[in-house]
Amino acid sequence: MRALCWEGRNTVKVENVPDPKILNGRDAIVRITSTAICGSDLHLVDGYVPTMRKGDVLGHEFMGEVVEIGAGVSNLQLGDRVVVPFPIACGACLACERDQYSVCENTNPNARLAEKIWGFPTAGVFGYSHLTGGYAGGQAEYARVPFADFGPIKIENGFTDERVLFLSDIFPTGYMGAEMCDLQGGEVVAIWGAGPVGQFAAASARMLGAERVILIDRFDYRLRVAEEHTGVETLNYEEVTAFRRR
Amino acid sequence: MATQTIRTRDKDSLARFLGWFSLGLGSAQILAPRTMCRLVGASGEGLSKHLMRAMGVRETTQGIGILTRARPTIWVWSRVGGDALDLALLGAVAARGNAKRAAFAMANVIAVSAPDVYEARHLSRKDEPTRDAMPVRKAVTINRPREDVEQAWMGAQELREKVVDAGASVSFSPAPGGRGTELAVDFTQDPPAGDLGGAVKKLTGNDLPTQLADDLRRFKQLVETGEIARSDATPGGDLLAEHLKQRPAQPLEEVSR
Repeated sequence: MRALCWEGRNTVKVENVPDPKILNGRDAIVRITSTAICGSDLHLVDGYVPTMRKGDVLGHEFMGEVVEIGAGVSNLQLGDRVVVPFPIACGACLACERDQYSVCENTNPNARLAEKIWGFPTAGVFGYSHLTGGYAGGQAEYARVPFADFGPIKIENGFTDERVLFLSDIFPTGYMGAEMCDLQGGEVVAIWGAGPVGQFAAASARMLGAERVILIDRFDYRLRVAEEHTGVETLNYEEVTAFRRR
Repeated sequence: MATQTIRTRDKDSLARFLGWFSLGLGSAQILAPRTMCRLVGASGEGLSKHLMRAMGVRETTQGIGILTRARPTIWVWSRVGGDALDLALLGAVAARGNAKRAAFAMANVIAVSAPDVYEARHLSRKDEPTRDAMPVRKAVTINRPREDVEQAWMGAQELREKVVDAGASVSFSPAPGGRGTELAVDFTQDPPAGDLGGAVKKLTGNDLPTQLADDLRRFKQLVETGEIARSDATPGGDLLAEHLKQRPAQPLEEVSR
C-alpha cells in the first residue's frame, strides 16, 4: 500500500510499504477513507519529537471501513464505517475504566522509554514516534487498529466523513478546552487562536451554554471561516487596540 | 510477606572512593605508561615502562577488589602495601632520574596513604557478618480482584518457575482505593561480581530485575486485556532490552502470530 513516511527532519514521502496484517485477536484492519493532518504532526516533521525513525508511517487522525477483524472483535463487522480515536486504549486498565484513555496502561510497548525521556508515559498513539509505541499511522491506505473492539466509533447514521472525521482528535481537543471552563450558562468566553482547535473550542463553548464567544486571531481567512461555521464573534487583534488613547 | 534480607555492607564512601581512585590511576598506568613515567620523573623507556604497567595492573585489581567486596578490608590493606612499594620505587627513580618530579609524586603517594591507613584500620575493627545481597521488589498493580490475579498466576507456569528458580517469593495484596490487586515479587540479588557485575548484567538486559519488570508488565497486559500489545516497531511486545533496537513503525512484511 502507499503510506506517508517520515524520512528525516523536514522530509516526508509517500512510499510503498507492506499492507498491515492482523497481529492480535483484538485487531482490525481499516481501509482509510479520510485522514487529517494534525498541528502536532508538524512537531514530528520539524524534528522536535525524539525517537522518530526513517520509514515511520505518520498520521493519527483517520477513519475508514473495516475490512478485516481479529477473532476477538465481536462488536464490529466487515464494512462498518469507523472513526478511530488517536489514543489506543485497552478498555480494561484502571485509566481506561476512568475514561482517561490517553494514559492507558497497556497499549504503549515503549511506555518505559517515554517515562525516561518525557518523565511520564502515555497510551499508544498511531503514527506518533516510538515514545508512543511505534504504531504505524493512518496517513496511508490501510491501518491496523489494535484493541479495535474498544476504541473505534461506529458511524451508523450516514453522516459524511467530513462531518465525523474530527472525532478522531481535533474536536475532542477543542471540546476539552471548553469543558475545562466549567461553563454554567451565560458566560463570555474569549478564545485566542482561530485555528481548527480554537474553532472547535468556540463551537463547543457555545454548545455548553456560553452566551458570547469571542474568537481572536490575526488571520482574516480563519476568522471568516469561524464566523460562517460557528457564528461566534471574531476580533482581529491587528486591527483593533485594547487601549483607548486619552 | 517475605523475610527481608537487609544489605549489610561496610563499603563506606571513603572505601568506594579509594576503589575508584585505584581503577582510575591503574587504567592510566596501563594505557599511558610512558606519560605516567615522565610524570613521576622516570625515563619511560625499557624497564620503567613495564614496571609502570605492572603497577597499573596491581592498582586495577585492587580497585575491582574494593568495589566488589562487601567489606574490602584486605583489599584496602593491600593498597597500604602498594603505597609502600610505590614509595620504594619512586625512591629509586629519585636517585637516578628527575628527583624533583619523583619527590612531587612521593608527596602525592603519602597524601593518599593517610586515608588508606585510616580506612584499613577502620574496616579491621568490624567483625559483624556481612551480606552483599540487595533486596529487590518488583511489583505491578492489576485492575482485577485478587482471586482472578491468583488464578492467572497459577496459569503462568513459565513465569512461576522463573520466580521459584530465583528463590523469590510472591505476594498478592489489595491495591489501595479499590485499584485492583498488587502482585509483588521479592528476592535478594547478589550478582557474582558485586555492583560492577550487576551493572554489566543490567546493561545487557540479562538481570532478573529487568526481566521481571518485563514479565510483570506483560502479565498485567494478559490478565487485563487478554493479549500482549504489539506495535509495528515492537512486534514482540514490550521488552526493555529491545527498546533501542526497534524497527520503523510500518507494517511487517511477514507476520508471526
